[in-house]
Amino acid sequence: MRVPLAWLREFVDIDETVEALVERLPMLGLGVDGVEGAGASAVLDLEIASNRPDLLGLVGIAREIAAWTRREVRLPPDDLADGGAPVRSVAAVKIADPARCARYVAHVITGVRVGPSPPRIAGRLEAAGIRPINNVVDATNYAMLEWGQPLHAFDLERLEGRRIVVRAARPDESLVTLDGVTRPLDPSVLVIADARRPVALAGILGGAATEIATATTTVLLEAASFQAASVRRAARALGLRTEASARFERGVDPEGTLRAARRCAALIAELAGGTVLRGAVDVYPGRTRRRAITLRLARVPRLLGVEVPADEVVAILSRLGLEVRARGRTVRAVPPAGRRDLEREEDLIEEVARHWGYERIPEALPVEVVQPGRRMPSIEVEAAARDALIRAGLTEALTVSLVTPRLLDRLGLGADDPWRRAVPVQNPLTADHTHLRPCLLPGLLEAVRANVSRRREAVHIFEIGRVFRAGGGAPEERKALAVALRGPWGVGAWGEGGGAREVTFFHLRGALDVLAAELRAGELGLEAGGPGWLQPGRAARVLLDGAPLGVAGELHPDAAARFDLPGRTYVAELDLDALLARAVLQPRFAGIPRFPAVRRDVAVVAPEDLPHAAVVAALRATAGELLESVELFDVYAGPPLPPGTRNLAYALSFRARDRTLTGEEVDGLIAHIHAALPERLPIRMRT
Amino acid sequence: MIDEIARSITGIIDETEAAARAARTPEELEDVRRHALGRRGALAGLFGRLAALPEADRARAGAHLNEARRRLESLLAARAAELGARASAARFEAERLDVTLPGRRGPVGRRHVLRRTLEEIERIFIGLGFEVVEGPEIEQEEFNFNRLNMPADHAARDSQDSFYVTDDLMLRTHTTVVDAHVMVGRTPPMRVLTSGRCYRRDAVDATHMPVFHQVDGFMVGERITFADLKGVLATFAREMFGPQARTRFQPGYFPFTEPSAELAVRFEGRWLELGGCGMFHPRVLEVAGIDPERYTAFAFGLGIDRPAMVRFGIPDIRLFWENDLRLLEQF
Repeated sequence: MRVPLAWLREFVDIDETVEALVERLPMLGLGVDGVEGAGASAVLDLEIASNRPDLLGLVGIAREIAAWTRREVRLPPDDLADGGAPVRSVAAVKIADPARCARYVAHVITGVRVGPSPPRIAGRLEAAGIRPINNVVDATNYAMLEWGQPLHAFDLERLEGRRIVVRAARPDESLVTLDGVTRPLDPSVLVIADARRPVALAGILGGAATEIATATTTVLLEAASFQAASVRRAARALGLRTEASARFERGVDPEGTLRAARRCAALIAELAGGTVLRGAVDVYPGRTRRRAITLRLARVPRLLGVEVPADEVVAILSRLGLEVRARGRTVRAVPPAGRRDLEREEDLIEEVARHWGYERIPEALPVEVVQPGRRMPSIEVEAAARDALIRAGLTEALTVSLVTPRLLDRLGLGADDPWRRAVPVQNPLTADHTHLRPCLLPGLLEAVRANVSRRREAVHIFEIGRVFRAGGGAPEERKALAVALRGPWGVGAWGEGGGAREVTFFHLRGALDVLAAELRAGELGLEAGGPGWLQPGRAARVLLDGAPLGVAGELHPDAAARFDLPGRTYVAELDLDALLARAVLQPRFAGIPRFPAVRRDVAVVAPEDLPHAAVVAALRATAGELLESVELFDVYAGPPLPPGTRNLAYALSFRARDRTLTGEEVDGLIAHIHAALPERLPIRMRT
Repeated sequence: MIDEIARSITGIIDETEAAARAARTPEELEDVRRHALGRRGALAGLFGRLAALPEADRARAGAHLNEARRRLESLLAARAAELGARASAARFEAERLDVTLPGRRGPVGRRHVLRRTLEEIERIFIGLGFEVVEGPEIEQEEFNFNRLNMPADHAARDSQDSFYVTDDLMLRTHTTVVDAHVMVGRTPPMRVLTSGRCYRRDAVDATHMPVFHQVDGFMVGERITFADLKGVLATFAREMFGPQARTRFQPGYFPFTEPSAELAVRFEGRWLELGGCGMFHPRVLEVAGIDPERYTAFAFGLGIDRPAMVRFGIPDIRLFWENDLRLLEQF
């Protein structure tokens, strides 16, 4: 709302400087977006909250300033001189849709001479950001800026049947609006019609056919109250936002309609001559009594935490235009027309707080039952998972959760992949944000790509976030985790074989192992196989105690190419909810072994396609309960081993809980392994 | 005879001294020691002759020999120490490092700068006795708007243009919606904080993203006032922005609070807008089953992304989502 200061001064005395106003208005809730000009010609650009239609009129703003400076408000003159024929004899109004039109007031002014407005009027409109049109239209805008009530002037002679009908548009109707655009209508749009056809979009914009022209001599002036929701919906559907719709959308109080109509009719007569016919057509189906609101004074400190003296409460509310009666410890106040936002006690307390001054409310700390602060368990375990990955050397990335199926295509998801079940957004804003992400990896790989394109070699990142999948009923929302690794691991590897150490599949595995171990979530296992967007032979299903948890592997070269990633990139994505559900954050002390362990090494020559996991499983099965741990310490293939085989060397650690094991006892176990293992697996023991 | 032994001792000492000086390695020195002090060494030979001495000379000769053994031992020990020091020196020289060469580091992981900010805020409110909770990003329109006193076609919905996934399911536009869930079924007092992603149909530019983060908190009790709201948020601001941080509460409008305020903090010579706050509207308490006559509540919602931009001097909000490691590694 652009407010010319000189105009505002008609309604309230303002001695304060522009600077002082700019300083204070925001503390009253009126944001100052800017100031043009200086001194008497200054224009303030104010930001008005969506619940204050009255502040889209100068009178409303004057009331706020008066309440601040403790001065009186001067309302616009209400001295309409009407005469001649009663207005009802020349025009009729019918509201066919009273739910969407609470009140319709019409004045008729005859014998007007349409022409330009005097400079005083035109100048003020221009300062307020409204283009002067002619003296009749300017009068409607002028009165609107004063009272915040939109008004519209029709050429009465062009209204068929000299009738106004407020009704829903009919399915086949259309209207050429003042801007020359033909607008097809439907029943969701409320129109002002004459006896035959729509002549204006109610509360939004007038029609071209009935507009005030140079030849116009008789004016029907409309001041109405249309339902805010209806105007808002229609304006959005039509893609129109006007001075009128901006006000109606906030809710224009029908109680203020007649007053603004009288002011405007007087202005038309003053600017364009003519006679205001006697009386007004006033159809008011939505009449609601202005209700007094009771304010218990004790409730003020109860809500604000500060005592405001009773006479201050009364003074503040009175200056804001409320009719106030104090009785003992309660105050009854009737809001002025235009303040439909004031409905209950709390609303009045806010008015008191604003004008008492938020800055005068002290800072206190709550006196309530003290409870220890904490995080709910699901947040606690998520944080623990994040922490584990960070300690494992990975950096957290955050990617946008809105994606496009094209991004999923780049990964190369199969047509029946569950990750294809992305949830579409009904009303996307842009073509690259059409769906909710069903998985994290494509977004994370996009982040890898961005880093690689900037010549970054080492990229070790992860993301923890929500993923969404469409299903039978409501979309499913889960927490997921994705990891992407490529390039050198660590820095400062000079002198080690002449180059940095590149990450491998096993760095990825190591990170996942750390995660599962730190969360004490169970045994993490990988088994060969996995989706087609991983390189065959380097793809794995991730299992947690045997149950599916996710996938891990080297990104397929084709997928890597679609993300512009040369070389090798290792990726994993896990169902984080499944992992977190098994996390144990409060471990129990397992004791420290009292007896020493005995180590023995065992080596086997095995076919290359026999998994290490199978060897370990067989070792555990044959070694008995005294076997404490199995650690692989060497893998070798090549001469003198036969082609297609490899040597796997394990360090076995044996320990008894209740005694020191003897060498002979352990040697016996090893001998048993040597005998039993080749029976279980196609291997040869090395000695 | 005793003189002969004395001469022999002198000879052994001189010989051993010379041989020890000539020894270049611990092994050579050991040979010298064995030769002089070994079980079949020179000195042992002399000890063997003691028995043949007359009783009167035996004690004196024994004393001479013991003295000689001590001399030889100390002489050899001195030489051993000398050789040891020399060997160490040689090894140290051979193992000399260029200590200015770069260090070897494993990768160091980090939190995303926005996560770090969220956790910082959470930590402060945990210290103030808040319980941190979370809620879904897909929400019922009923909770996101209606229960927060924003019925259909409410003008305030304009500033929260929303993404829908079905006719009544949408992406939450503010974390305040979690408050609406949490209040149902709980009995005051409550101090609850939540954070996470929110979505609005804002076109991408330097200060807008359709996805952004918020923190929302509320406190319900029998004596909660606007003064408490000011106190808690001012305490938060001082923890976050330093003990000198000044806060500003300006009247604002939110359908779910009454009175409402906009919160800003003075930061590096300018007012930094942090978010909105106020006393929960009685209707919001009513729909949650809380008696607004008995209980009052304050609530606040803080933006994360834009204040973090200003606080850390990040010029473009899109940089948060690009995950350029050159940025992430600075936090």
